[in-house]
Amino acid sequence: MENNVQSFIPTALTESSVEINELLRRYGVKFGIYKNGVFKEQFFPFDPIPRVITHEDFSQIEKGLCQRVNALNMYLYDIYHDKKIIKDGVIPEDFAYISSGYLPQCEGITPKNKIYSHILGIDLVQADSGEWYILEDNLRIPSGASYPLIARELTRISAPKAFSENYVADNRDYAQLLKSTMDYVNCGGINAILTPGRYNAAYFEHSYLAELTGAMLVENNDLFVENNILYCRTYSGGKERVGALYRRISDDYLDPLCFRPESLIGVPNIMEAFRAGNTAIINAPGNGVADDKGIYYFVPKMIKYYLGEDAILKNAPTYLPFYEEDFKFVMDNLETLVIKDVAEAGGYGVVFGNSLSSERLEALRQMIIAEPRRFIAQEVINFRDLPIMENGETVMRKADLRAFVLAGETTKVWASGLTRFSRDPSSFVVNSSQGGGFKDTRVLSQ
Amino acid sequence: MKTISFAYSTRLTFDDNVINHSFALRCIPIESPPQRIVSYNLTVTPYTNLNYSTDTFGNNVASGYIARLHRYLDFDLHGVAVMDSTVPKTDLRPFYHFPSLMTKPNEKAEELFSAVRDKLAFMNPREKTVYLAEYIHSFLRYDKSLTGITTTAAEAIGLGGGVCQDFSHVLLMLLRMSGVHCRYIAGLSFCDGETHSWIEFWDGEQFVGYDPTNLCYATDEYIVLSQGRDYVDCAVDRGRMFGAYTRQVQLVKSKLEILSYE
Repeated sequence: MENNVQSFIPTALTESSVEINELLRRYGVKFGIYKNGVFKEQFFPFDPIPRVITHEDFSQIEKGLCQRVNALNMYLYDIYHDKKIIKDGVIPEDFAYISSGYLPQCEGITPKNKIYSHILGIDLVQADSGEWYILEDNLRIPSGASYPLIARELTRISAPKAFSENYVADNRDYAQLLKSTMDYVNCGGINAILTPGRYNAAYFEHSYLAELTGAMLVENNDLFVENNILYCRTYSGGKERVGALYRRISDDYLDPLCFRPESLIGVPNIMEAFRAGNTAIINAPGNGVADDKGIYYFVPKMIKYYLGEDAILKNAPTYLPFYEEDFKFVMDNLETLVIKDVAEAGGYGVVFGNSLSSERLEALRQMIIAEPRRFIAQEVINFRDLPIMENGETVMRKADLRAFVLAGETTKVWASGLTRFSRDPSSFVVNSSQGGGFKDTRVLSQ
Repeated sequence: MKTISFAYSTRLTFDDNVINHSFALRCIPIESPPQRIVSYNLTVTPYTNLNYSTDTFGNNVASGYIARLHRYLDFDLHGVAVMDSTVPKTDLRPFYHFPSLMTKPNEKAEELFSAVRDKLAFMNPREKTVYLAEYIHSFLRYDKSLTGITTTAAEAIGLGGGVCQDFSHVLLMLLRMSGVHCRYIAGLSFCDGETHSWIEFWDGEQFVGYDPTNLCYATDEYIVLSQGRDYVDCAVDRGRMFGAYTRQVQLVKSKLEILSYE
């Protein structure tokens, strides 16, 4: 099946690459990055060769992700309430409480329907063997769903036959999925999407998703809390109650009266409205305690603990220098492992042991010895390379898949996703903030 | 057991009118087994409706929002508490064990800690607290001119002095390094005209109050306004407002009076 993927691509589609990229530009499909302190907006290069995921593969991924997300939501409830998983010794308390994502201010708060993470972006890779591995969970503000969504829309225009002649699952339901996820936890009032503003890396996405779901796109100064209720100012000087807020700003900046006082992009006292159950915050604050790179190691154990099941999808083989046995292994094999700083995200703080000079390797070793809790080490998985077009030729590059999982009345996996690839042939890091591109992800419907 | 009346008032004056002012006050003394609040009255001027809640740390939070133009914010609190420090406080939480934002050790702190590590090895939490509090006075002097409300424990050590808040932070940092659960207390006491700060450490069974500035245990005459990992969790007032000139002058007054002994 896998080898037939190439023949499945109509030539016309490949040729339309220029046209689609031109359309993406015209629609303003961009993301911003800060490099050396300067803000730059970049187009997110689109590669016309789609990634195709077979129906069988996707069913397996779907089952595995739903299982994982359900366990993660149970873990979040547990951590902010009874802490049974820690009392039972499954997760050492250090890992939960030292995590920068753990927010004591959220202790005892129960979000509506006990859902903490409503929208997750889970990064997977397919190894050479064909097996899928989870690379990381993103339970806070995962971005990227809008890119394949609009790219597919534009591809439909430039190459309609690709869809009429093949069994590709329609991905246009993302907006509906997102809307019903917001509606399910809405505490009375409208749905709104909170953006930090147009200088945010994902501003295109915020505005596009608001447009598609009918939610109001707001900035922090459009919102205020009065009598523990979150309101949005209307143009006529009135106010409208907000029942669900899909916020695209991080926990630290969410409420200057509860978290970082210097935040200028937050909504004061929104945590009080949330605590009182008068508004849903999507995703709930405090979720970082579940997608910490150190906690990642424990997710299969969580699945076993809460659901009594074995994890369907595997983690990449991971070692925690925190444990003595793993520490020894990491010290002995440092040059063959990937080392990740648990506090960093977006492809920052990831180093490959084999790429370091002996001095830098030694410096890294000393850092791990000094702060073993701060790092995790993973074996390098040989990703399956995907074909991409470069100057009219097909070349093979590393790629991953960000699958979007939405937890509402039931947990659902969007039958699409963001496939990101590295443009640098020697690099495994595919994050868009590191200059990668993306492809459409087509799930076969049969 | 003592019955104490407390009064606390703050006047915030802004350089110019402000609008859309959100605030959260943590000035209503907490309700805990050794501290029963018999009655209290909180008035905020200009008038606005207040919402009351209790946060993770057990603090009473009064939050409000003033949309219209105003030049000042006054809050005035008075009430009566019955204090009985023989009743234990047992609300231990795991996060009191770990370094917080204001109590993260730096290299200098590690050094100061290493110098006494051996001595602490055989001490219980109570002995550690008394020992470390005295130790702090050997490198930190009381000086109102050096630090501000955002000064961390590590910075205070670098400056060589500070006020009650800094003594508390440094003691919390050292106690946590030595494995003792402990928390920051903001409150009122007889030795001060403003607010005071001390700490509580976990002695294995209950929290015990200790005042590192005055090197004494916190008695029935220490009223707890708020508690948390460090000052950030306990700030008596936090707010955000809009205006051309939001520089402000804060005037704080507090008064305690013993009504009866038993």
